Parts: sequence; structure tokens; C-alpha cells
Amino acid sequence: MKLKITMLGLALTAIAFTGCKKDDDETTNTTTVTNEKVVLDFADYIAHYAYSDLAGETTDLYTKIAAFNATPDDTKLQACKDSWKASRLVWEKTESFLFGPVATDNIDPRIDTWPVNFNDLEIILANGQPFTASYIDGLDDALKGFHPIEYLLFGQDGDKTAAQFTPRQFEYLEALALNLKTLTGDLATGWDPQNNSSYYHEFQSAGNGSANYPTLLSAYEEMVNAMAGICDEVANGKISEPFVAQNPELEESPFAKNSITDFTNNIRGVEAVYLGNIGNDAAGLEDIVRKHNLSLDSNIKTKINNAKTALGNITVPFGEAIFSQPIQVQNAIDAINELKTVLETDLMDFVQLHVD
Amino acid sequence: MKLKSSILGACIITCTLSSCTKNDELLQYSENEWLSGGAQTVFDQGAGAFSHPFPYLSGDKLRVHEIGDLGFEATFVTAPAPLNPGLGPVYNNVSCASCHIADGRGRPPYPGEQMKSLLIRLSAPGTDATGGPLPLPGFGGQLQQFALAGRVPEATVDILHTYLNRYFDDGTGYELAVPEYQFLNPYIPFPAGMQFSPRVAPPVFGLGLLEAVPEETILAYADEHDADGDGISGKPNYGYDVIKQRPVLGRFGWKAAQPTLKQQTAGAYHEDMGITSSYFPYESAYGQPQDDGLQDDSELTDSLLHAVTFYVQTLAVPARRNADAPKVMEGKTIFMNAGCGSCHRPSMTTGVNVAFPEISNQKIFPYSDMLLHDMGSELSDNRGDYLANGNEWRTPPLWGIGLTKLVNGHNYYLHDGRARSLMEAIMWHGGEGAASRDYVKQLSADDRAKLIAFLESL
Repeated sequence: MKLKITMLGLALTAIAFTGCKKDDDETTNTTTVTNEKVVLDFADYIAHYAYSDLAGETTDLYTKIAAFNATPDDTKLQACKDSWKASRLVWEKTESFLFGPVATDNIDPRIDTWPVNFNDLEIILANGQPFTASYIDGLDDALKGFHPIEYLLFGQDGDKTAAQFTPRQFEYLEALALNLKTLTGDLATGWDPQNNSSYYHEFQSAGNGSANYPTLLSAYEEMVNAMAGICDEVANGKISEPFVAQNPELEESPFAKNSITDFTNNIRGVEAVYLGNIGNDAAGLEDIVRKHNLSLDSNIKTKINNAKTALGNITVPFGEAIFSQPIQVQNAIDAINELKTVLETDLMDFVQLHVD
Repeated sequence: MKLKSSILGACIITCTLSSCTKNDELLQYSENEWLSGGAQTVFDQGAGAFSHPFPYLSGDKLRVHEIGDLGFEATFVTAPAPLNPGLGPVYNNVSCASCHIADGRGRPPYPGEQMKSLLIRLSAPGTDATGGPLPLPGFGGQLQQFALAGRVPEATVDILHTYLNRYFDDGTGYELAVPEYQFLNPYIPFPAGMQFSPRVAPPVFGLGLLEAVPEETILAYADEHDADGDGISGKPNYGYDVIKQRPVLGRFGWKAAQPTLKQQTAGAYHEDMGITSSYFPYESAYGQPQDDGLQDDSELTDSLLHAVTFYVQTLAVPARRNADAPKVMEGKTIFMNAGCGSCHRPSMTTGVNVAFPEISNQKIFPYSDMLLHDMGSELSDNRGDYLANGNEWRTPPLWGIGLTKLVNGHNYYLHDGRARSLMEAIMWHGGEGAASRDYVKQLSADDRAKLIAFLESL
């Protein structure tokens, strides 16, 4: 999902922006943050932190599902549903930086594929195959990860009760949760500072020996492209597709009625990368931007807030909103596209000017 | 910063130096070389480098590209279903993007992993009515190792390796891994005489530009019987165009057997995912027990086939990195002196196309001649594919190859992904490539590093 880059744009801005460097003094409290620090902190306080958090949440989900499986009741089911949403929250935020192991190890499609293959899911539930880890591992992407778990926990209409679970559903659910825990654990390992071959070290050595990121700028471009990329995906894929087709079947995450929350957490993920804060306030792109261009900083923050507000103005589940709140849905698409544009043009031009 | 100055530089040089191209341009350095895809080059050296639309694409065409992008990523499921039905009954994967990950290069499975972005073509000895491979009775033209729940996969595959230990002339050793394929649990016994050809998913960017190269340009490179005596043949393949119903110059696939991107795309839907279309209206498992025998409507509409084809036609080519670094430029000289450029031709120019100005008359740098070459017995799959014999493979484009590790997280090359580094890929070359390989073999370690630095800058 992909951004348009014009080299003419790059060349023109290079010329146009050279007169703006005088803004350097108008900085606030961020003068000490170096360009290197932002990349170092991204690895520490965004990627490593968030994937560890995600692995913790999915471990909690697995534990709660195992407890529910052992002695089922509606209280434990509700705890599982809450835990699913908590895992989902962290995952959606991490979608603002879909590069590194999540992409190259093909983990994204294995934990977050839509649609679910319902026909095969029913056949699997009806057959007698034991749900071993390797059996789950061998299933298609459309039969594992967040959405089959969501379907089993919440049911078609989002109101499933403990009494409605069959023994096979319990087994499948627990095995799926274990698979999700394992794969998100791999993500955490993939950004673990203790792991010498992890992407953490690859990213931190940008411009200083990294094969993937020969310059510091290339690491910045990776971050900015990923931020703009998720905006594109949310506005022009996740929201636009069901809306344009007027087809609620195209909606992701329909059973938990969690779609608007998902979209908002994608935008929060963009905000987190920009601020360098996904739980701890560290150095972020914000600090570099504020050193040189306060108006760009303000523009980006305004666009982020506009996007969140526009999503917040959709007051019914997304599958209904595409029919009953078309103006609000269109406003959200427009606001997120505006954020995408400021990221892929203004912020990208900025980093290409200020980072080597 | 480097990026921008070079772009400006490139612009200036295009305007001023155009009179220099009369000499042997294969050996000359030109600033144009930064722009691997001509005007349709993108400046992203990150994980999304293969996934950008042409930078100059008009609004309505960009919209078709976006629709195709969503189609490329769409996960198919068992019919009937409200969204993306029609998967299988037997298949290799569930979406285009799950083999062509990030629009990039597939790889063989790691130990214990299932085969996901590598597939196995099958055939029986002989040719079919169109001159193509004869489908293997009970299995068809391709092995599908997955099946819908309740159906039987055709077989599963294990890959074992033996190792060849060889030496550069300076005494440094290297190792080549020879794959050996074991076919397990076939749903019926394999017929005698089975032929097979493993193929990894190739990158899909820049293909519209390759499709736009005039046929006469490619044919001008051909020298099938080596009339000039340079040891390099260059042979065009002619695959069967199912719409024109006649042989047409092949351009795509590891053996250049596919004449058009649309047929290539429809063929991939058909064999890899079990999705029928107007091009291939019968299930890949037609006549096999996995098939329900119901010949329903095409599972892929013509409009979506068009959009997904257009998507791959309009994926831009990433610009080179460090093309003017001394080490890289010396590496290019070594590349040309070794004769690599005789097949991996640096540049060609697309044809004039007034109906599609985005791909019209662009000087591109694919490092390919789009022709078949004998690569020797060690790389042979011993299986014919239209005019290609077992030893013959199409020269694959090298553009973007230096971004493989970043975009796809691996360094596996060649048709079956057996090479574990660019240097291993070079050392696997045999047949017409043997002389170039031997040239590289006698290089110093320093010169070998320069050659690799050049390849990584592509």
C-alpha cells in the first residue's frame, strides 16, 4: 500500500527549503536530541517496548483462555474478550511500523489475516484432528491469528456466552491463542537487545555499519514511509473498501465491533512514533522537527488530532456507520489522507533536508 | 542528501550529455544509471522499496493500480463466502502477496517450515498440443501441496541438501548447497517418468516496463546458434498465448514461457490459488478427485484480473544506491570484463506507446536480455518448457537485487533459491555462464568484494 514519490518533488523542495534553515534558534526543550538518538530510541522505546508489550498481552490472553477452558463461565469469557481487545490495541499501534521481522518473517499475515475461512473453520471444528502446535502452524493464514480467535470468542453477533462453546471450540481457541503467543513472542525476540542477531541492532546501527540502513537518513525514511503507509492502509483500504462498496462483509474485526478502535489505534501508533512515546517519553521525530520547524510540528500534530477526532465522531459500529453515518466516515477518510500527505511530503522532505 | 544531489545531477546530465551515448555504452558510466526504471524510478531504499506505483501515473490509472493492489493482497477462502471465495480445491497459497511478499522475492522453506513461496512445476515426458509441457496425469502442471479442509493435498515436499566444497583460485573455499526434493504422501502414486521444476516467486516490480520492450529489441539480442562465436547464444522462447491461440514471444517466468503479464497473472491465480478466470476456466484440479466437478462461473472477474495485472505492470523500480562509489564503479567494470553483461545486459529502451505514455520510450536498466541461455547441467531441471530445454533459463533481471535482504529478509537466489548469497549465485553459473564464473573464480578477494558491492547497488 504504497506511497507516491516524485523525484521532481524531492529536487524542488531541496531548492525551496534551503532558505529556511534560520529557524534553528526557535527551539524549545529539544535542542539536545541528536538525529542518532531518535533512531536509537525508536529501537528501544518504540519497537522493542511495544513488541514486548504485545507478547505480554498475548501471554495474558493465552492464560485467560486456558483458565476459561478449564472451568468455563461467563466472567472468564468476558476476561478473555477484554484481553483480546487489549492485545489488539497494542498490535494495531505497532502497525505504524510494519518493517523488520514482522514483514520479513511473514508474521503479519499469520496473525492478522482477513477474511476468516469460515467453511474450513467449521470443517476443522467437526473433524477429529488434534490441535497440536504444528497442526495450527500448518493451517492457512485465514484460519489462525486474531480474527479466528475473535470469531470464536465473540460469536457471529458479538454476544456469545460460555454455554455456547463446544469442546472442540475450546481446544481450537486455546491452540490458536498459543500460536498467537508464540508468533508475537518471535516478534519481541526479533527486536530484543539481548539477541545479537535481532533487528534492534540492525536498526540502531543505521549509518554506522548496518547493511539494510547504510545511512541514518535511510532509517528515518523507513519510519516516515511506514507511518504514511498505515495511514494509506486505514484511509484507502480498511475504511474505504467497505464504505465504497457499501458492504459490511468487507469490514475487519466485525465480531468484537472493534473496527473504529482498531483504526484509532493505528493513528495512535503513528502519533507514538512521531512523539517517540508509546509508553515512555523518549526522543522522537518530534524533537528533530521542533529544532528546525515549529510550524511543521504543529501541522503534523493538528492532522493527527483531526484524524483521531474524525474517527471519534463515528458513534456507531463501523459496519453500521458505512450506511448511517456516511458524512462522518468520509470525513475520517479525508482527515487520515491529509495526515498521510503531510507525512509523505512535508515530513519526508524535512528529514531528507536535516538528516544525512 | 546524497540522493537529492544525484537526482539533480541526473537531471542535468540527461540534458547535457546525451551526445555521449554512441560509444560502447555497456562499459560507460552514465548518471542515467541511477534511474533503473527510467522516469518510473522511485527513491525509497526501505522495506517498501518494491511496492510503489509509478511516480508519474495519472489519477485514473492510479485508482486502477490501487484496486489491483487490494486484489493482490486479498486472501481467498473456501466458497461459498461473501468475500474472496473460490480458493482451491488444491493450492499453493491463499493470496498473491503471500508468495510475492512485499512484491519481492520468495525463498525455499527453512528446516521444519512449510513450502510457501516456492512451487513445483510437474510434467510427463512429451509435449501437449500447444508445444508446452505435458500435464502429469492425476497432478496437472503443478504440484499443489495444500488442499481445502476435507480434501487431499496432491503431495508434500521435503528438501534435503548435499554440499559441494569448491575453491576460488586464491585458495579461499566456498560451499554450494545442492537441493534434493523428496515428494511425500502423494494422494496417488506418481506416474513413471515424472519431471519437475522448482521455482521461487520472483519480484514483481518493473514488469510493465519489461513488457513494453519491443519484440525486435529482444530478438536483436538473440544469437541462437552463436553465429558470432562469443560462446553466448541467447534464444527466444515462444510460449502459447491462450487468447491469440498461437505462439508468442515469451517474456515472463523463469523459462520465459509466458507471453503477457495478464496471462502470467491469470495463470498464477489458476495454478497457485485454484482461482478460475476467463483465461483458465477449468479448475487446476479438473478431473481429479479433489474437484467437485461443478464448473461454476469464473471465480475471478475480468475487471479484477485487469486491475491486478495493471498493478504489477505499474510497480516502479527502486533507484540504485551508491552507484558512483569508487568500489561500485570498479565492480561494474569487473562485471562487464567478466562478460556478465553479455546476458545481463545493462539497459534497453521501451517502445513508443502513445496510449500509455508512462511506459513509452524509457531507457531502463534491468540487467537482462529476456532470452534463454544454457546454464549448464548443474542448474538443469531436465524439463522442457516450450522451446526451453532443461539447461536453459531466462536471464533474470538484476535491478533491485541489492534490496532483497532488506525487503524480504533473505539472500536466496536463482530459480529454486538454492544460492545463499549473490556470490554463490555467480558460482552456480555453468554452460554459457561458465567462462564468466571462471573469470570471477580467479579474482582476488578484494575484486570479488567490488563485484558484490556493484550487485548490491542495483
